[in-house]
Amino acid sequence: MILAVSIVIAVIFGSGAFLILQRDLLRLIVGILLISNASILFVMASGLSRGKAPIYPLDGASVSDPLVQAMALTALVIGSSTAALLLALVYRLYVSHRSIDIEDLSTAEMEAADALERVNVTEFDRGFRDEPVQEEQADERELEKEEPR
Amino acid sequence: MRPPSEITCGSPGRIQRSERPNQRRFTVEHPINGALLTLAPLLVALASAPAAVFAGWIRTRFAAPVGAAFALLAAVTTLVVYLRGGGEVNVAWAPTWDLRLHFALDGLAALYALLATGVGFLVLAYSSRYLPLHLEHGGRDPSEGNRFYGFMLLFMGSMVGLAMAQDLILIFVFWDLTAVASYYLIGYDRHDANSRASALMALLVTGVTAVLLLIGALMFYAAYRTYSVPELAGLVRPGPLLNTAGLLIAIAALAKSAQVPLHFWLPRAMAAPTPVSAYLHSAAMVAAGVLLLGRVYPLLQESELLLNVLLGVGLLSMAVGGVLALTRDVLKQLLAYSTISQYGYVVFLYGLGGKYGAVGASFYVIAHALAKSALFLTAGAVSQATGEDRLSRMGGLRKPLPVLAAASGAAAAGLAALPLTIGFFKDELFFEAALQRGPVFAGLAVAGAALTIAYAWRFWSGIFLGTPRDGAHGVPAALVWPVAVLGILVLVGGVFVEPFAVLARSAGAAYYPGPVESVKPAYHLDLRPENLMALATFGLGALLVVSRRAWVGAAWGAARIGEKVGPEKLYEVGIIELNRFSDRVHSYEVRDLRSRIASILLPAGVLVGLAILATPNVDVYRVGSVAWQDAPLLLALVAVAVSAIAATFTRRHVTLALVLSSAGYVLAAVYAFFGAPDVALVAVLIETVVTLLFLATLKLVPYKILHRQARLPLQRRGRKIATSAIAGAGAFAVAWGTLSQPAAERSVSQDLVELTPEAHAKDVVTATLADFRGLDTLGEITVVALVLLGVATLLRKGRLR
Amino acid sequence: MSPRTKGKGASSFGIGTTSVLTETVARVLLLPTVVAAVAILVKGYAQPGDGFAAGVVASLGVMLQHLALGRREAERLAVVRHAPILAGAGLVLSLLVATVPLLLGDPVLTHYPRPGGHVIYLGTLELITPVLFDVGIFLLVFGSVVGTMNAFARTISEEQEYAGPGDSGLEYEE
Repeated sequence: MILAVSIVIAVIFGSGAFLILQRDLLRLIVGILLISNASILFVMASGLSRGKAPIYPLDGASVSDPLVQAMALTALVIGSSTAALLLALVYRLYVSHRSIDIEDLSTAEMEAADALERVNVTEFDRGFRDEPVQEEQADERELEKEEPR
Repeated sequence: MRPPSEITCGSPGRIQRSERPNQRRFTVEHPINGALLTLAPLLVALASAPAAVFAGWIRTRFAAPVGAAFALLAAVTTLVVYLRGGGEVNVAWAPTWDLRLHFALDGLAALYALLATGVGFLVLAYSSRYLPLHLEHGGRDPSEGNRFYGFMLLFMGSMVGLAMAQDLILIFVFWDLTAVASYYLIGYDRHDANSRASALMALLVTGVTAVLLLIGALMFYAAYRTYSVPELAGLVRPGPLLNTAGLLIAIAALAKSAQVPLHFWLPRAMAAPTPVSAYLHSAAMVAAGVLLLGRVYPLLQESELLLNVLLGVGLLSMAVGGVLALTRDVLKQLLAYSTISQYGYVVFLYGLGGKYGAVGASFYVIAHALAKSALFLTAGAVSQATGEDRLSRMGGLRKPLPVLAAASGAAAAGLAALPLTIGFFKDELFFEAALQRGPVFAGLAVAGAALTIAYAWRFWSGIFLGTPRDGAHGVPAALVWPVAVLGILVLVGGVFVEPFAVLARSAGAAYYPGPVESVKPAYHLDLRPENLMALATFGLGALLVVSRRAWVGAAWGAARIGEKVGPEKLYEVGIIELNRFSDRVHSYEVRDLRSRIASILLPAGVLVGLAILATPNVDVYRVGSVAWQDAPLLLALVAVAVSAIAATFTRRHVTLALVLSSAGYVLAAVYAFFGAPDVALVAVLIETVVTLLFLATLKLVPYKILHRQARLPLQRRGRKIATSAIAGAGAFAVAWGTLSQPAAERSVSQDLVELTPEAHAKDVVTATLADFRGLDTLGEITVVALVLLGVATLLRKGRLR
Repeated sequence: MSPRTKGKGASSFGIGTTSVLTETVARVLLLPTVVAAVAILVKGYAQPGDGFAAGVVASLGVMLQHLALGRREAERLAVVRHAPILAGAGLVLSLLVATVPLLLGDPVLTHYPRPGGHVIYLGTLELITPVLFDVGIFLLVFGSVVGTMNAFARTISEEQEYAGPGDSGLEYEE
């Protein structure tokens, strides 16, 4: 039983890792959800006892470990909340970049970073960089480039 | 256990021991009133910043008078409380961490509090006229003055707190407050890049070394379980611990006092407006360093090594500051190097030790603060009068500014230690302390004092003597009378030295264990060694003045070398390299998502792998038994694994969502088989909601884009499969290794099960969530609420900033 | 006339149109869902289920309204419109249950009556503060899930007004 559960955890985790490595943001979210499922299963399986549901009246039979159940519940809720947030984030990225492809987003991010670097070069040779005003301007330019609609 | 709040009143131990017949013990009937009275200087000083800012908010021109009035009130309060015998307040702050609010107004605290508030008052009065001119010159709004007064007074308040604090952590807090306030004050002209860079440099040098102070405090605490300096003084023994921790604290103090080799921030900090320099760099910020040295002196003096370090650093600073002061052309730069050298004397005195060293250090601080702030204010006034800030472009100002010339002449004479000024006595004590140590030190002391004469003369004569230049005009009275008051104080101290000596003695008594009553500065018209040394100093100083042509080239050379290879260069190179390093890490780690994930996962994976390899693993893994009734569970597990694998093959997003949800539902069934109906119920519900939200997102993203994603060819497929296989293998190793551990005899879970009836519940899991581990649940629901906020924000119309 | 065309039209999530049967069932089911949710909530201490599960069940009832009747119909329910307020109220209630014991000199999240104390019963419902805590969780979860769904539904209908029908990820064929 221990081996079986471990194998299943490994399979879910591996599939999740594979999906995380994809370019598609939605697949990435599915990967994250799978990995969180794997970890919840792991938490549940690490319960020290398995048996009846831990609900009174107990008749002396062994009960399932209630502590891991409480932890798994918390993990489930937080995992799903995070998923909702990530989904909204994907939509927002689509609105601002017209793409849900990591490669496109990385390209855009690097362009923005380069633009920042160009702006900062003048301050750079002093060895100090504490002027936020110019960075804000760079952001402004960036945003204008990717006006939502 | 210590009572949660205990308030003790009365004079601190050190003062008690020294007999002072002219001062009454301070006793009160109500401890709370006594505590309030003792804390009054601190409370007034801390209240001054908000008061001035509030006044300035009502009317801009109110800020300066209100601030100055508060500073004066703080000074008077300090004096009154001190004359009533001081007092001590010791209240538990965070008892479990042994943190205490331990303040005392002993002699040392009174001295520095009086300097901070008294000089603060004069400087604020001066600023009330200077700052509007300064702002007008820069074309700035007069209301910006509010910020100036706010931070000046914040600085004053934290300085008073630092003076009174007896607890190392409390000292650290006020120490950092002064650093923060000084950052804003030095960088007050924030449009100026040089000003900002100087402020940052001052903050970095004093702030980074402040961490050393904290480390030193923690080391003492680890060894003696107390942060209180008086308690530590009775506990410390000489040894490596004292040497290390004491050295760390001393480094922090020396950096704050701008001692070589951490002195370079002070000349740069002259970018601040002149009142700031006059205040921070004569009476307050640099004085904070020697104040800390005085406060922890009972600890430092246990270690011969630390005293020798102070001796060496003091000598070096005297030499470097003195020589460089003779080469600077910009007025304030000259004064900055002179400050470095003068605090070198004080550190040297601490290092010399003995009663003359102890009292002399405190007396020296008083005399120097009076003279030096007067000279700084003079520099500001003549710069206003001529529009120049260089010595070489000035001269002959005694004609248009006679009062200023006289007042600053007195101050310069005080700095140069001429007779009839308070400065004479500072050098008298200095020579006595050096003599006690030996003839070599006496010679060094004479040489150092002669340097002081040379640059004091250079400063004053360069401004006020020589041929008058065109364009000089008078300055407002408010720029002159504070200098005059300070000049008069310098002269008064030269005649009636006893009040100052009393203050210095009681400050010395606060940290010097032996009796100090016999230290009495006075004029002696005989040929005692101190007088001979003074005469030698005057002669040598005069020689330096007249033979300037002979040595000025060498001094310039020394300054050049310092610029090329000095610690300032090191600092600059360090900052640039740190910046470059941070950029490199940034571009490696943060540029795109995958390298970001990799930079977390790879080290984690390597560490886990190493841990697995390092753990003995023979007979650790168990296969576990499978009973017949587990067959449905096994089937469900297989189904989960199959859906997970299917998810990796699926192309279309809708199918992907459905595969994901099927995996989730089957997992819910698994939980049900595990005997966890609560988890199963929530898992089913959650899965439904997530699936619906997933479908909704698919609905939001246009078909074209999804289609493109679904049709993407798999790039570097082999590598990805290999990576995920490794990830899976790692997960397998961790899971199997953990699950194979035999169950503990008795676990928390059993307690939970047994406690549930106590909580008036039947379902153990629900009771756990709502009662036993309720804080977890509280955190969890906060996450849910935040997610709602996040989703609502992300899905809002319009663009996000 | 086919039932398809008789339906009120687009549902909130734009999954085509719905039939009269679905609509009726959805309307009828709302109240039972809420009752079921409350039951899960108050029986949580004796049987599986707690505030969280109850909140999700209740919000699934609202979700059904969205799916079957469309956003406008669903938002006619006051609780749907003011879901974020409900969520905030739930959070405040839970925080109150957690912090009020501090004022009484007890540790955070002390529940009353204390162990061994006398419990007042209302039928089979025990009046203990954990129930209040759970009610807070219920409100928060209900408000959050409904609020999230509302946000998605509103965005979808705006997107559709902008792009016109037929341009969505759910309708593509290979």
